[in-house]
Amino acid sequence: MIFTLMTFSFMFVLGLMGLTFYRTHLLSALLCLEGMMLSIFMAFSLWVLQMESDNFSTPPLLLLTFSACEASIGLALLIAIARTHGSDRINTLNLLQC
Amino acid sequence: MSPLTLLTMAFTLMLGTTITLMSTHWLLAWMGLEINTLAIIPLMIKQNHPRAVEATTKYFLIQATAATTLLFAATTNAWLTGAWEISQVMHPLPTIIITMALSLKMGLAPMHSWLPDVMQGLELKVGLVLATWQKLAPFSLLCQIPNSNFTILLGLTSIILGGWGGLNQTQLRKIMAYSSIAHLGWMLLVMQLLPSLSLMTLLVYIIMTFSLFNIFMINKTTNINSLSTSSMKVPVLTTLTPLILLSLGGLPPLTGFLPKWLILQEMIKQNFFMTATMAALSALLSLYFYLRLSYNMTFTIAPNTSTNTLSWRLNNKNIILPTATSMTMTLLMLPLLPLAAMPLF
Repeated sequence: MIFTLMTFSFMFVLGLMGLTFYRTHLLSALLCLEGMMLSIFMAFSLWVLQMESDNFSTPPLLLLTFSACEASIGLALLIAIARTHGSDRINTLNLLQC
Repeated sequence: MSPLTLLTMAFTLMLGTTITLMSTHWLLAWMGLEINTLAIIPLMIKQNHPRAVEATTKYFLIQATAATTLLFAATTNAWLTGAWEISQVMHPLPTIIITMALSLKMGLAPMHSWLPDVMQGLELKVGLVLATWQKLAPFSLLCQIPNSNFTILLGLTSIILGGWGGLNQTQLRKIMAYSSIAHLGWMLLVMQLLPSLSLMTLLVYIIMTFSLFNIFMINKTTNINSLSTSSMKVPVLTTLTPLILLSLGGLPPLTGFLPKWLILQEMIKQNFFMTATMAALSALLSLYFYLRLSYNMTFTIAPNTSTNTLSWRLNNKNIILPTATSMTMTLLMLPLLPLAAMPLF
């Protein structure tokens, strides 16, 4: 039990650190977000297996659906950024600074 | 954007917040937050210029990260304690993570720096939605989880940094963003001591912000410079706007004074003397930039014909009635509020 907890926490923290510290491309930020979602998906599925609770078997699918929606919005924004700013580098997003 | 799409998006936005408000399970709360975020993004990116696209991208990244972190903390809590319900006793570590995630979502002080940037890229209507309606869902979640002194710390930092950040700004939307940060700080101060008072502060804040954003929309301005020609465009609003700004700052005969007064009273009752003093003194920082706005709007230009180029005087008739109602409430509601606050005491 503590092993699975540590595994998915570690995956999540890796994704979060990638999102916060590796800020070059928007695409890599989106990939890190997907990685975070997948770690939570793993936690949900393992929860169903471990607790043997059938009524918790839909939440992993709901989670996947929502993360797919989120990924599609992210990719749409990636295209919009590429069309307005010329590239997907994060350091070009500086029009709104003080 | 076609009216049908707009209607669908607006209803989905409301649906997301409603789901979060009604949920008892962390997964459902997260789903409401996600629906909310996904629905406001088309509204934000509607005018397709680079600044709007950039603001939307920043908003999306921040909200997605915060929501995922929230769900991660809820999952960890379930693995540690076995409970998925929001109201049940939580492990201390997930509590802290959830509080940080929710304050990232709302734009509270240590995680606030996205809010002025995002607000600057949006048009005023969507900015109003971002400053008011989008706070409701994270606020309700934050009310339900018990953590004693951490929210007071967050609130105090928000008041100080919200006042400090707005000092040197010339853009109205950035000033409104910092004002939103400072007001959220006031709500967080009493969130654990007296949640209903905190809710009342949120309602008063929403009314005041609504009237101020409507004034900006009627004037069609987004920076301080163009506010000064307001007396040529809408003279009556020009005389009333300083009062509204002072109500936001929290001066006595106006509505904005009451939440601050009750919050300070409650803090003193619960022996938080130092915190109350620091909060009250930091409110002066906010008051400074409100005063600067009203100075530039009313006191710098004589009310006669100007040689400047004016914008067209085509008034938007639609928002007159809500503006009048909310402005009256912003200015005169102080004697009525104790009736609303009666169940508190």
